[in-house]
Amino acid sequence: MTRFYIFIFRFLIFVFLQVFIFNQLEINPYVHIMVSPLYIMLLPFDISVIRLLFISFFLGIFIDALSNTFGLHTSALVLLAYFRPFVFRWFAPRDGYDSIKNPSIFDMGNKWFVFTFGSLVIVHHFWFFAIESFSISEILLILQKTIPSALLSFIVCVILQTLLLKKSK
Amino acid sequence: MRNLIEFIQKLRVFFVFLFLQGIALYLYLSFMTVPKSNYFTTASSFSGALFEIGNSLTKHFNLEENNRSLQLENIKLRSKVPSFLYELKKDSISVQDTIHKQQYNYIPATIINSTTTRRNNFFTLNTGIAQGVSRGMGVFSSNGVVGIIHSSSTHFSIVKSVLTSDINIDVMIEKNGAFGLLKWDGKNPNKGEISGITNDIKITIGSNVISRGGSGIFPKGLQVGKVVGVKPIEGKSVWEIEIAFSEKYASLQNVYIIKNLFRNEMLMLENKKGEE
Repeated sequence: MTRFYIFIFRFLIFVFLQVFIFNQLEINPYVHIMVSPLYIMLLPFDISVIRLLFISFFLGIFIDALSNTFGLHTSALVLLAYFRPFVFRWFAPRDGYDSIKNPSIFDMGNKWFVFTFGSLVIVHHFWFFAIESFSISEILLILQKTIPSALLSFIVCVILQTLLLKKSK
Repeated sequence: MRNLIEFIQKLRVFFVFLFLQGIALYLYLSFMTVPKSNYFTTASSFSGALFEIGNSLTKHFNLEENNRSLQLENIKLRSKVPSFLYELKKDSISVQDTIHKQQYNYIPATIINSTTTRRNNFFTLNTGIAQGVSRGMGVFSSNGVVGIIHSSSTHFSIVKSVLTSDINIDVMIEKNGAFGLLKWDGKNPNKGEISGITNDIKITIGSNVISRGGSGIFPKGLQVGKVVGVKPIEGKSVWEIEIAFSEKYASLQNVYIIKNLFRNEMLMLENKKGEE
């Protein structure tokens, strides 16, 4: 049950971080740091996919309601949640996942985290900027935004983990 | 039948995904075109109130700059007040003005949340239906055009700013009256584009760009920016005109909402013309 409260608490922290810190941090049009993918990433291994989809939907709605994006974050996060089980299956360790562990950089190792979270962040960011522009003629601009933003978001998410998490036993 | 149920159970996750994705995209696309509700926007009473608190903390950061631009505007306006001018003709008499009738009402407002680096940037204002704001009104500041009211709740409203892909405000070059539509390409919050000016008209760099006032949203003559680049587009007979906005949207706080008192009359007339 404590795990449940931890995730509720973390939910609020991520909404706060995204809306009041990273959305206000407007570096330039090509860089938009999004930390909300990390929340979906850190949900436990044994959570059902349906539940995962609904949690990401509500996280997205919360962020959208506070940042004039009207459904962009929701759309990108639901896509991310849908892809998470597939990506986890592709990069599964030889003896499967241990449900006591967390899908974090500390428990699963650097290499695993870079591959799984890296690919998820790229999908999330690409979808976000693609829907935001909503025009094929701007594909170059979309890619110009996706690459630096995804890179910076990834780095920020790694730093956030060191602040939020400890290695589980 | 059993096969069908098994098939659906296998695809259950996919269907839930499609359903949620559909809701999200519907919310986004419907709000971008014609907003129906404000529940999931910053104009809802909950998030509006949150941003009001946030704004009360951060509003002092740009205070000096904002004060200066308001002061400059005051100077400009004061120089036009009749009692401040030196009267050359001493025997002039004041007359009841029946030639001029007030066409525009102004409502002051403060921006409480804004972005300037997204593809489509919306500003949240702390003024809403209670103060007489409604969809389609123009918003401007001391230095230039800001945007158009996109949706409003009781106490807050959302402005579709100049920094969106399809703002399409009609603007003109002050010198020769050539007019086109204002666009933004999403790359630099200080630069915009004008499309639709044919290349038989000569455009000089540095000429003033003002609002044209064609659609009845803005009065004619509001400052928009200055031309900084003119390029021909290959295979087309129109210029690609780059302008620098006269307003710095990133630090903007005080704006005015314009209500055109004759707009309904104008629209009614134009619609009647269309029906015949």
